[in-house]
Formats: sequence, C-alpha cells, structure tokens
Amino acid sequence: MPDCLIPEETVSVRPVSVKTVSVKTLSAKMVSVKNVTLCYGPASNRFRALDDVSLDFAPGSLTVVSGPSGSGKTSLLSVMACLVSPDAGSVAIDGQDTGKLNQSGRARLRAEKIGFVFQAFRLFKSLSALENVELGARIAGAPPNRSLARARLIEFGLGHRLDECPDALSGGEKQRVAIARALIHDPPIILADEPTASLDSHAGERICELLRRVAEELGRTVVVVTHDQRWAGFANRIVTLSDGRVVEDKTL
Amino acid sequence: MKLAIANLLHDRIRFLVATAGIAFAIFLIAFQASLLNGFLAASSKIIDATDGDLWIVARGVPCFDFSATLPRRFLEMIRGADGIASVSRMSMAFVEFRKTGGRHQVVALVGADPEVGSRFPVPHIAGQPNAILPDSVLVDHSTRELLSVDQLPLNVEINGRRARVTGEIEGFSSFLGSPYVFTSYREATRYMKMGPEDAMYLVARTAPGRSIEEVKAGIQAHFPEVDVWTRAEFADRARRYWLSQTGAGGSIISAALLGFIIGLLVVSQTIYAATMDNIEEFATLSALGASRRYITTVVLVQALIVGAIGCLAGWLGALPVIRQATALIAWIQAPWWLPLAVFPAGLAMCALASIISVRRALTVDPGQVFRA
Repeated sequence: MPDCLIPEETVSVRPVSVKTVSVKTLSAKMVSVKNVTLCYGPASNRFRALDDVSLDFAPGSLTVVSGPSGSGKTSLLSVMACLVSPDAGSVAIDGQDTGKLNQSGRARLRAEKIGFVFQAFRLFKSLSALENVELGARIAGAPPNRSLARARLIEFGLGHRLDECPDALSGGEKQRVAIARALIHDPPIILADEPTASLDSHAGERICELLRRVAEELGRTVVVVTHDQRWAGFANRIVTLSDGRVVEDKTL
Repeated sequence: MKLAIANLLHDRIRFLVATAGIAFAIFLIAFQASLLNGFLAASSKIIDATDGDLWIVARGVPCFDFSATLPRRFLEMIRGADGIASVSRMSMAFVEFRKTGGRHQVVALVGADPEVGSRFPVPHIAGQPNAILPDSVLVDHSTRELLSVDQLPLNVEINGRRARVTGEIEGFSSFLGSPYVFTSYREATRYMKMGPEDAMYLVARTAPGRSIEEVKAGIQAHFPEVDVWTRAEFADRARRYWLSQTGAGGSIISAALLGFIIGLLVVSQTIYAATMDNIEEFATLSALGASRRYITTVVLVQALIVGAIGCLAGWLGALPVIRQATALIAWIQAPWWLPLAVFPAGLAMCALASIISVRRALTVDPGQVFRA
C-alpha cells in the first residue's frame, strides 16, 4: 500500500479496522431536530438564532447547511452537538432525547456518537499528528490504539507526517488529521464546521471528497456547515437557513 | 497524562518559570523549617541532654533559660521522697565573662552535677567522669570566636573569679545571643555567688521499677510550692514558651508560611496563565466529550509534575545553603524528615494552586470551538 492515498484522485476512507456501517442497521433518523428554537441575549433584547427548526438527518447522507452569516448555521450545529440546549424543541441523537441528559451524559454522548471537524482544526499543538488522533479515541473511552491511528493517517496520506506537531503541518494536512481524529472511534455522526474555509481550493476539494466518502462508504451521517459553494457537488442534500429558519431543504 | 506532559514540555520557558517558582517557595519553606526545627531543638537542648526522669523547678519557671532559685531544703526533701533514686543539681545564670584582652561578654553559665547526664557537658578529668576539673569551663565550638578562645586552655575571668576554658564542645550553641558556658555545679555556685546547697533545678532519677508519673504525682502532691515535670514535659514547655511567648517562633513560622504563600501565588499564577493559554484546547476537549475527570486530571497532573520537580530543585538548593548557614546560625538544623514533610507540602501547594485553573478549564464554553 502506498504511503499516501489522499493526494490527487484516490482518497481512501475505509481503513482495515473500521467496519463500514450498513445504513439499514442504523436508525433512519440518526439526528432528529424537532421544532427547535434557540435564543441569545437578555430578555429585553432576545435574538432568535434558531426559530422553530425541524430537520432529520439520515445515516449515509452528507448534508450541507448553508446560508448567510447570522442565519443560524453554527447555532444549529451547536444544538445538534449538545453544546447548547435549545429554548424550545428537542434534539434526538440515535433515538436518544438529549434534553433528558445531564452535562456528563451529553459529554458522553458527544464522545461516543459524534466526530467533530472544525474550521480552525482544533488540534492539540503539543501533540504529534499521531498522538492527536490517538487522543480522539482516548476521549471516546476507547482503548489507545496506536496502530489504528497510524493506519488511518497513512490512508489519509499523512504517513510521512505522523510525528509532526500541528504547527509543522499545512492547513490541508491539519484538516486531514482532524478528520482522522473524528473518525478514530468510529462515531455514526460527523459534524463539520466550515471544514474547507481555511484551505486552498485543491486541499478543500480533497476534504470535500474525503467527507463524501465517509458518508457514502462508511455510512456515517455527515453534516457540513459551510459557505463554500463547492460542497454542492459532493452533498446529497442542501439545507439553507436564513434568520434562523429553514428556507430551503433540497435533496440532490 | 500524555497531553499534560506534552503541554508542559511544549512551552519550556513557562515550565522552567513555574518550576523555579515552586523551587524558590520550597527553598524558603525548607530554610525556615530548618530554622524553626533548630530553634525548637536549641530551646530544649539543655533539658534534653540530661538523663533524669523528673525536673523540679521553682513555681512558674517556663524554661531552662529563665531560672529561679529553689529553697535549699528541697534538695534533701526530694532525695528522700518516695520513688527517687538520686538527684542532681543544676544552676544557670547570666554572668560576666572577661575575655582575653579584658573585653567583657555576658554569657549564660550552666553548672551541673557530673551525673546529670552522660550527654551533658561537664568539665571532668579525662577517663574519670565524676572527677571535676577545678576552675574549669567548657565553651561551644560555635562561640569560640565570640569568646576570643584562640587557644586551650585559656585563662579567663567569670564574675571576677579566675576560670580556665579547658575544652570545646559541639551542639550547644545558644539561640539567646549570650553563649552557653558549662561548668560543674560546685564551680557554678562559686561564680554565681550562690550558697553551696542552693540550686535552681533538681533533676531526679526514679528508682528502678517505679512509675515516673506516679512518682511525679507524689512529689507534686507533697511539694505544691514547686513545679514537677517529666523531662519530656519540661522540654515541651520550654519549646512552647519560646515558640508562643516570644516573637522569635512566630516570626520563623510567619516566614515559613510566607514562603508557602509566595509559592502558592507563583504557581497559581503560572498554572492559571498556562491554562488560559491553552483554554481553547480545554474547550476542544470539552466539545469532543472529554469527561470532567479527564480535564481535571490534565490540569492537576501538570501542576503536580511542576510541583514534584520544583520540590526536588528547591530542596537540592536549600541543603547546601542550610549547611553554609550554620556558620552564621549555629543552631539551624535540617532534620532527616524535612524532605518527607516538604514534598507533600509542595505537592499540596501545587494541587491547591491548580484549583482555580481546574475551575476555569471546566467552565470554558465548549461552543467556542465553532468560532474560527
């Protein structure tokens, strides 16, 4: 197997030790957002970041959430990730109502069910690429598995960068490390916030392709919040938000 | 654990600053604790050096250094008391010591019967513990310069009477400012111009098989006009007196506490700054679903690693300084158990210092991970 699978056209997302999840074995609604309203600010000047939003996300799908700044994209992601609790409505992850969970329960749910990809990568600067990926498994409560982390990075074309710290990596490399971290504990959901915003067009397209295959080949529920128009070519569905409301929900 | 260590090593300057901070605090604590330990040991040194079971002293005498004369009848009465095997006499007074060249020095003259204790310095003829050298006194090595003892034997005057410094001893330096000078009880009464049967302290040994507490209670009941203490009680009373009734103990304890507080502040500030520098990483950990326990462990392990290395460095720095300090402060003393006490104190300091940082790391908004 060549060291670098990701460059150019061949992107592998099916490491030997990670099973492809059959869509049929998962809940048809991996994430269910129902009538969610989320407000910010003081009572006298409440700002509705989300206004009665209802969306379901199925396994094996790559959904792009787009919309202008302030439309509620990141708020939707925060609610889906159980990082904030909605003022009204409910969010269910794999059939579990997150509103019934306490802080620890929500943290455990995030660790086990969700993989995150951030615009700013959010890698740990003192750890190597390999250690960053390993840490993802450790946080999820999985036993440390260095060989799996190594295999995942090699498959993402980072075999020659395993021991490099994030500062020594390019933006595209950092994002691939972040995706490897998000996938290392085999979560059914991947939430990505502007994953290509900090990347050049070439690196951005690689990431788009990588996440498309994560959805398609591994059966993960991938939700990408982005302004980036390129995602249209990789998504199964595009949800457009404006002023906290769903104004368009288009299946491709 | 790996993240904690990696974070520390990633910013080595900060790591060194934190370690230096804790090392300095430990240095201060170790030095002050050695002062305190030496001070306490010195304040009861004379008492601890005797072999007697009971000390009979004038009512209200708080320690050896502030003595009062006992009525002379007590010597025979205590000798005849139930359960007493033998009694030794001791006296102590501040007297004038005239040095070579005619200069004067106030000294604390201590006189004792030769059988008062095998570790007690009494000038006797070599090989004959009970044969006292006449006119003879002993001085501590640490006071040799102060007393201008540049040769032995050396003729001096004590309270206008001839005396000879015939030997030097170790470990009996005074913390009073006036050096101890030791002689026999009989010579002491002469120098102090006391009556031959006067004494300030009676040190009694109980008869074999008798309970010290029972004998003590019996003597105290028969002689309510004196205080009767076991040796350990009188030593403890002396230490407590010097510790609580004078400013000396308080100032040493304050300085040790100050060291602890300085260390606490330095380490708190450093660990907090390190936590704030990495606050986005803690937000990321939280967002990824790390448990509170995991996040707490990361901060705490960082603090404890800094603490352990700082303790070691501080102690290694303090030891030679304490040794050197004995030239100026003869009674300073670092006991063998001090590192065992200082290490937990240092680690506790670091754990305490990390509380604010742990709170900050736990309460950071994980939602900020979505901000670029």
